[in-house]
Amino acid sequence: MNKILKLTLILFLVCAITAGILGVVNEITYQRIEEQQRIKTERAYAAVLPAEGYEEVAFDQDAFPTVDLINRCTDGAGWVVTTTFSGAQGSITMAVGVDPDYKCTGISIIKHSETSGLGANAASSSEKGVNWRAQFVGEDENVAITKMGGHIDALAGATITSRSVANATGVAIRAVRSLG
Amino acid sequence: MNIKKQFTEGLITNNPVLVQLIGMCATMAITTTLFNGVGMGLSVLIILTCCNVVVSAIRKIIPNEIRLAIFVVIIAGFVTIVDLLLQAYIPALSDALGVFIPLIVVNCIIIGRAEAFCQKNTVGASFFDGIFQGLGYTLVLIVMCVFRELLGSGRFGGGLIDIANGFRLTLDGTGAGIQIFPEDFGASILTLPFGGFITLGLLIAIMQYALKRSAKKKEAAEKAQKEAEEVC
Amino acid sequence: MLTNIISISLGAILINNFIFSQFLGCCPFLGCSSKVDTATGMGLAVVFVMGLASAICWVIDQFILVPLGLEFLQTLAFILVIASLVQFVEMFLKKSVPSLYSALGIYLPLITTNCAVLGVVLLNVQNDYNFIESVVYGVTGGLGFMLAIVLFASVRERVQFSEYPECFEGFPICLVSAGLVALAFMGFSGMQIFA
Repeated sequence: MNKILKLTLILFLVCAITAGILGVVNEITYQRIEEQQRIKTERAYAAVLPAEGYEEVAFDQDAFPTVDLINRCTDGAGWVVTTTFSGAQGSITMAVGVDPDYKCTGISIIKHSETSGLGANAASSSEKGVNWRAQFVGEDENVAITKMGGHIDALAGATITSRSVANATGVAIRAVRSLG
Repeated sequence: MNIKKQFTEGLITNNPVLVQLIGMCATMAITTTLFNGVGMGLSVLIILTCCNVVVSAIRKIIPNEIRLAIFVVIIAGFVTIVDLLLQAYIPALSDALGVFIPLIVVNCIIIGRAEAFCQKNTVGASFFDGIFQGLGYTLVLIVMCVFRELLGSGRFGGGLIDIANGFRLTLDGTGAGIQIFPEDFGASILTLPFGGFITLGLLIAIMQYALKRSAKKKEAAEKAQKEAEEVC
Repeated sequence: MLTNIISISLGAILINNFIFSQFLGCCPFLGCSSKVDTATGMGLAVVFVMGLASAICWVIDQFILVPLGLEFLQTLAFILVIASLVQFVEMFLKKSVPSLYSALGIYLPLITTNCAVLGVVLLNVQNDYNFIESVVYGVTGGLGFMLAIVLFASVRERVQFSEYPECFEGFPICLVSAGLVALAFMGFSGMQIFA
């Protein structure tokens, strides 16, 4: 019994020391991590709809389960919607800008795990990605890829990613419209 | 234990991925751009070296019964430190590798080296073992990345190299890489999970071929020598 | 709620299969797939442990780590939970369900280092799943693993009888055939119900 107690004590001690060290590292990096995340979201927001400031508004979460949050621009430029939906490989998180006429002002993909070289182009900062995302500007809630009767040219080899992004953009605009 | 022997063992004759056949999940999953490969390889190298040093330093005072549990705690500690540092200073890499950074904890390379090597060797030897095994791992990742990226999308060094304004290395993962041939001509299937399996399979096959050949050559040389001796 | 659960299950089993699209759990997948029987045993053990680990880790995360602001200890806490869970399950089965132990026992110790188990727990946190969603994701992720390993074991039993270059002996030919099975699973990618 004594032996078990001793072993447990040693294991506990090792855990405690490790946890202590991690605590210190966390203390050092904590603020920077928060800062990095804030910068990332801010950049995405500014890319779709620049405004003086943003404030979160309430919406019907049951009707729009894929919408994470809706931010209203304090200067009346419109809304920025953050939405998470499934793409071809995993979930995609995207910011969608919506102007007061319920038209899309731009989209920006914050997080994704699409196939590199195909679906990932939707999020890339290359010319191809920028041009593809530019197609969404001015679209309304019926935005769709050409195959489904809309105006968005799907990315080569990534019809599914393109379709999901187009659908999610439509949902985001509808969610804003439902605010009234 | 001499350093030169450890070097060849880590990089070639006892390469963690190609010969020991461990740590394959991440090897296949993240080798889509050079940025990911180099980032993952260096993360593993750092964690492996730190764990090796600590484990060999305390190898005489830890009780044998709970050594695996203690190894796991130490590894998890170092992995979390690297994870937090990446999130804070290279967020692009942290995003790209995602769950595969915390999963280094269960990467058999690290616990395998702790159990097989550091338990019996000095701190110095364990330190070099960590460096060389880590380099061996990084080397495989780089080869896989270059192969998959080049043939898959006609690019080299995606995320890591930017040549738009002169050659420079981008550590924030934004570099577009060097386009060798147009992306549309690439076999994009190689960037998909299928490509991961096939590329690693081919690499291990090449390694087995090379090892077998050098073993055969050695045998033949020995035989020739023996015959020569007999003739004399 | 129900639609959510169905889409999580389908995602975990087919669309984002743990092995063929996320590469989680490849080591036991290649190590334990030479026979269909062993593959089934390993698969069942993984389903069991992944479900339990998801449930327990969710509770620990939500009631201990998050309230205390200790999220940075997640990796450490989860791996300890999984390791001790596997030990307890092994002891429990040995004592009370010896028949099940004889079927799963030898696979249990291998599961601690199966990255699918730690992976599913971390993904639960990353995806903000609630308790039910976590357990569903754990169990169905395990089922996906089992489907993959059993299917692949039957492929491997055939591969034994075919001819291939000598240097492909062992792992390489397995990886190549796994790649081909992964290609088949790609057919599910992007499949959406309730879009």
